[in-house]
Amino acid sequence: MVTANLMSERRMLIPNNPITGLLLAIPGYFFGVWLGNVFGLFDDQNTGVILGYTVATAAFLVGMGFLNYPLTRLLGWPVTPISESEPDAGLSRYFRLSLDHKVIGLQYLFTILIMLLLGGIGAMMIRSSLLVPDSSITPPGQYIALIGLHSVMMIFITSAVIVGPFGNYLVPLMIGARRMAFPRLEALSFWLVPPAAVILAVAAFWGGFPTGWTGYPPLSEQAGQGMDSYIVGFGLIALALVVSGVNMLATIITLRAPGMTWTRLPIFVWGIFTTSILGMLAAPVLTAAIVMLAMDRSVQTSFFLSSNGGSNYLWENLFWFFGHPEVYIFILPAFGIVMEIVPHFARKPLWGYRTGVVGLFGVALLSWFVWQHHLFVSGIAPVLRPFYTLSTELISIPTGIIFLVVLGTMWRARIWFSVPMLFCMGFLVNFLIGGISGVYLSDVPTDVTLHGSYFSMAHFHYTIMGGEIFGLMAAVYYWLPKMTGRMMSETIGKLHFWWMFVAFNSTFFPLFIIGLLNMPRRVAQYNPALQGLNIWVSVSAFFLFGSMVLFAGNLVYALAFSGRRALANPWHARSLEWQVPTPVPAHNFDRVPVITGGPYDYGMPNARPVADFGGIRGVTSGA
Amino acid sequence: MVGRLLIVAGAVVAAVIGIVAFVGLFMLQRPGTLAARSADVHLETVAAVNQALEWPRPNDPHPDWVAYLPTTILKVPANATINMTIDQEDGASGLRNPFWGEVQGTDGAKLHVTYFDDKGNPQEGDMTSIDPTQAAHTFAVPDLGVFVPLLGVNANAPAGSTNVITFSFKTHGPGVYHWQCFVPCAAKTVFNNGGPMSTLGYMGGELIVS
Amino acid sequence: MKTIRIHEADRPHALRLLTIWLVLSIVGVIVALQIHIPPGDQSIQGADQSRTMTLMTALATPIFIGVVLMIVYSAFAFRNRGPELVDGPPMLGNTPIQIAWITGSTILVLFLALVGITSLASSNVAQAVGAPGRSIGQSGGQTGSGTAGGSGSELQIQVIGQQWYFTYRYQDYGGVETTHLYLPNDRPVELHVTSLDVVHSFWAYQLGVKADANLGVDNVIHVTPQKLGSFQVRCAELCGLWHGAMADSSGKVVSQSDFDSWIQQQQQSFTDIQKAVPSYAPFYFPDPLTKGS
Repeated sequence: MVTANLMSERRMLIPNNPITGLLLAIPGYFFGVWLGNVFGLFDDQNTGVILGYTVATAAFLVGMGFLNYPLTRLLGWPVTPISESEPDAGLSRYFRLSLDHKVIGLQYLFTILIMLLLGGIGAMMIRSSLLVPDSSITPPGQYIALIGLHSVMMIFITSAVIVGPFGNYLVPLMIGARRMAFPRLEALSFWLVPPAAVILAVAAFWGGFPTGWTGYPPLSEQAGQGMDSYIVGFGLIALALVVSGVNMLATIITLRAPGMTWTRLPIFVWGIFTTSILGMLAAPVLTAAIVMLAMDRSVQTSFFLSSNGGSNYLWENLFWFFGHPEVYIFILPAFGIVMEIVPHFARKPLWGYRTGVVGLFGVALLSWFVWQHHLFVSGIAPVLRPFYTLSTELISIPTGIIFLVVLGTMWRARIWFSVPMLFCMGFLVNFLIGGISGVYLSDVPTDVTLHGSYFSMAHFHYTIMGGEIFGLMAAVYYWLPKMTGRMMSETIGKLHFWWMFVAFNSTFFPLFIIGLLNMPRRVAQYNPALQGLNIWVSVSAFFLFGSMVLFAGNLVYALAFSGRRALANPWHARSLEWQVPTPVPAHNFDRVPVITGGPYDYGMPNARPVADFGGIRGVTSGA
Repeated sequence: MVGRLLIVAGAVVAAVIGIVAFVGLFMLQRPGTLAARSADVHLETVAAVNQALEWPRPNDPHPDWVAYLPTTILKVPANATINMTIDQEDGASGLRNPFWGEVQGTDGAKLHVTYFDDKGNPQEGDMTSIDPTQAAHTFAVPDLGVFVPLLGVNANAPAGSTNVITFSFKTHGPGVYHWQCFVPCAAKTVFNNGGPMSTLGYMGGELIVS
Repeated sequence: MKTIRIHEADRPHALRLLTIWLVLSIVGVIVALQIHIPPGDQSIQGADQSRTMTLMTALATPIFIGVVLMIVYSAFAFRNRGPELVDGPPMLGNTPIQIAWITGSTILVLFLALVGITSLASSNVAQAVGAPGRSIGQSGGQTGSGTAGGSGSELQIQVIGQQWYFTYRYQDYGGVETTHLYLPNDRPVELHVTSLDVVHSFWAYQLGVKADANLGVDNVIHVTPQKLGSFQVRCAELCGLWHGAMADSSGKVVSQSDFDSWIQQQQQSFTDIQKAVPSYAPFYFPDPLTKGS
C-alpha cells in the first residue's frame, strides 16, 4: 500500500503556472472590490480596493497550485513525497511553481533584479526632479508619490535580496542537505513577492501614496486609494519574511549533514540564521500594525487617530519596533557574505570565527532595543532618551567585531583581487561611513538637527546601498558560476566595481553636507542655495545608474552570449557548495555527505577535505 | 545567437517604452497653465460639475471634486500688482484654524465682495476679516504673505448665486510660489484635507511669477 | 593577565601601520576641529549641538582613518603577487587582540554615550528637546513648571502646524496668533508644538530645535536665542502635498524693545479675528474630527 502510494503519479488539480494564477487573480480582484462595495461602511472604495488586492493575491496563489497538495491530502488521494518526486527540468521550470530550492533561488534572483531596476529608475526620476529647487520638473504630488514608490519598492527588495536568492540556493548546499525543510513554504515565500511588487506598482494608477515608506498616520489615513497598495503589499512582504524565517531556521537546525557541527557551519549560514530569527519575530508586529491601518482606512476604527481616541504614536512605535530589526534583516546577511567570501580570497581561515558569530548574534539581539531612536524628537518621555542613545551606540561593538574578523582575516594574507573581493572591501569602507554617521544620529542633541534631514537619508543609503547592495554584488559575482554555470567577465566586473564605488560615494557623501545645511528629506522644493550640490548629486546618481546598466550588461552577456561554461570550482574554494558538480544535481548530493573539515581551513597543515561524499548508507537527511 | 540578441533587444525596447509611458503619463502630468497677460486673474471655485458656470470640466478625472477653475497653475508678471476676481459659488464649510478669517497681504489688507446677507438680499462692501465659520475657501500664497478668506454663499441666497470677490496683491521677484486653500473642504477624507486638498489642480496650485 | 605578544612577522607591518595612522590621525583631527559644523551659534542649544558634532567628528576621524588604512594597507601589502594561488598563514584568531579590540570599542562607545547623555542632562540641551507629549483627555494649560529646566520667566509660545503652514500664538500676549515667529534675544523660550491635522515637525534650523507636531499633543521644547538675526522654519516630517513648501525664512531674533513693538503691532492688526480664535489651550480638536460629510 505504501509503495503504491509512493510510485503513483502526482495529480494536478490546477496546473502550477502563473497563467492560471493571473486568470484567477483578475476576477478575484473584481470580486473583492464588489464585496467591499457591498459591505463597505464608507463610499471611499478603500474596503473594496483592500479586499480586491487580497482576494486577487489569494486567487493567484490558488491558481499557482498552492492548494493542490492540501486538497489532494484532504481528498485522500495518493501523494508523492518531495524526496521521491521527479526534478523539474527545462527553462520553463523557472516560470512555474517549483519546490526545488535551486529553482526558487534563481526565480528570486531575477525577480529581485527586475524590481531593483524599477526602484533604480524611481531614484533617477527623483534625482531628475531635484535638479531644480522648485517643483517645475515633477509636480509636488507626483514627487512624493515617487518617493513612496521608490522607498517601498526598495524595502521589498532589500528585505529579500540576499536571503531570497542566496539563502534559498546556498543554505542546503552549504549544510549538506538535499532540500529545504519546508519546500512548499519556501515556494510560498517567493510567490508572495511578485504580487506584492505588482500591487505596489498599481498604486501609481491611483496617484501613488504620500507617506514614504514609514506610512505615518493620520497622513496615511487621509491619503487616497494608492495607500491601500502600501498596506496589502507590505502585508504580503511581512508574511513572506515570517514564512521564509521559519523555513530557514528549521532547515539549518534540523537538516545539517552528519559532521556539520555548529562550529563548522559556514558563517554565511550564521548570517541567514540570525536574519531569520529577526524576520520571524519582527514581521508579525508589522502585520499587526498594517491590519490596524487597514481597519482604520476601511471600517472606520481609530487605532491611530488621536481625534477619536487613538494615537499615532502607536503606529510609530509598532512600525519602528519592526522597522529597526528590519534594517538588520538587510545587513546581517551582507555581513555573512563578506565574512564568507573574504577567507576564500585571502586564502586564510576566518580569523576569530566564534567571535564573528557572537558579533552577528550581538547585532541581532541589540536590534530589539533601539527602535525609539527614530522617535527622539516626536515627544516621547525624556527619561527614555538616554537608554536609547546608549543601546543604539552599543550596536557599534558587535559591528566592530565583524570588522575585526574581516580585517584579521586579511592580515598577512595572500589576497587574490578578484571582483567579489573588491566588492567586499568596498562594503567595508561604505559601511564604516554609514556606521559612523549612525553614531551622530543616535546622540539626542545632535539628532535634533539631523533627524529627518538628508543626513539620515545619506546614512541609511550608505548602510543599505553601500552595504547590502555591495554585498549583493559580491555574492552575484562569486556564486553565479555555481548557480548558472556561467562566469561573469572579470574585466568588466572590475570596471563595474570602481565605477560603482566612485559614483556611489560621489552621490551619497555630499548628501551628508546637504542634510547639515538644512535640507529635509522628501521635499519637492528646497532652498535654492543648495542647487549646486544637488546638481552634483544628481549627475553622480546618473553615473551610478550607468554602473548598474554595466552590471546588467555583464550579467546578460555572461548568461546569454558568452557561452563560456564555468568550472565547478573556479575560485578553488574549500567550502562544501563548491565541491558539488555544476550544474548542481537534482537532489544536490547522491547521498548526504559526511562533513569532515571546516570550510575555511586554508594553509592548515593536515587539513582534511571538507566532506566525504560517500555518505552513510540509508541516511537521507542530516543532524 | 541572433535569437537571443533579439530577445534581449526586445526586452530592452519594452522596458524603455514602459518607462517612457510611465514618466510621460504619470510623473510629468500637471494641470494646464493660465497665463495672465494683463495681471488680472479670474477664477471660479466650484464644488460639483453641474455648478461650473464659466468653465465646464468635461475631461476632469474627478469631476465631483471641489476645485478652482479653470486651472490652478497661474502665470503672473513679477513685481506687479495682480488683480484677482474670484467667483465663489460654494457654501460655507468653516475654517479649521479660525485665524485665517483675517485678510492678510492684500492691498489695504482688505477684499471687496458682492454677497447675499441672511435675508437673501444682495450686498456689497469691503471686508478686512470674515466670520471664520462663513468661509468656503481661502486663496493663500504663504510665501507672499497673502491669505484671503472667501466668503461662502449664504444658504438663503437665490439658487445658483455667486459671491464675487476681488482683491489685489503685489508679487516680488520671479519664482514658483505655491498657493492653497486652508478651509478643509475635501469632504469624505480625514480632516476633510485629503483628495482635492492634496492634489495639484483642485484646491492647490502654483503661482509662476516671471 | 596575558599580554599581547606580537608575532615576529607582524612587527614591521604593525609598526608601519601605527606610524602612518598616528600621523594621519593627528592631521585628521586638526582638520576636523577646523570644520564649522551647523547649526551654528544663534541659540545656546544650537551652539551646544555644533560643539558636540565637532567633538564626535574629532573622535570618529582616527577610527575612520584607522579602519580605512587597514583595508588599504592590506590591499597593497598582503596582495598575492605571484601567478599562483598561495595559502596564507593559518591564523585562527588571537584572543588577547580580540579582547583588546572589544574593550577598546566598548570604552569608546560608553564615552560617546556619556558625552551625549551628560550634554542631554545639562540644563541647556535638555531644554532643546521635547518634554513628554501630553496624552489625550488631559486638559489645562501646560506651563513651564512641570518640565525640565522650566521656569516662570520663560516666554510661552505655541507653534501650530497645519497643512501646510506654521502659525504661532503668544500666550503671554493675549494668545495673539501670528504668521511668523519673532523671539526676543537672550530670553529663554518655551515652545509648545502641536498640530491641527497630520504629523508635522517644527524645525527652526539656526536655533537647533526640532519637535514633532501631533494632533492632540503638546510637545514642549526650550530654546534660548543668543544672537540677533533671522532664521528658517521648516517642516521636517512628510505631511502631504505641500510639505516641501512648508517653510518660512522670516523667523527673527530681535531685541526686547523691537519685540515689544512688533507684538503690539500684531495685537492691533489681529484684533478682529482674535475674537473668533478659540481661547488658548495646549492643543485643539477642530471640526471635523475625522471624516466630515
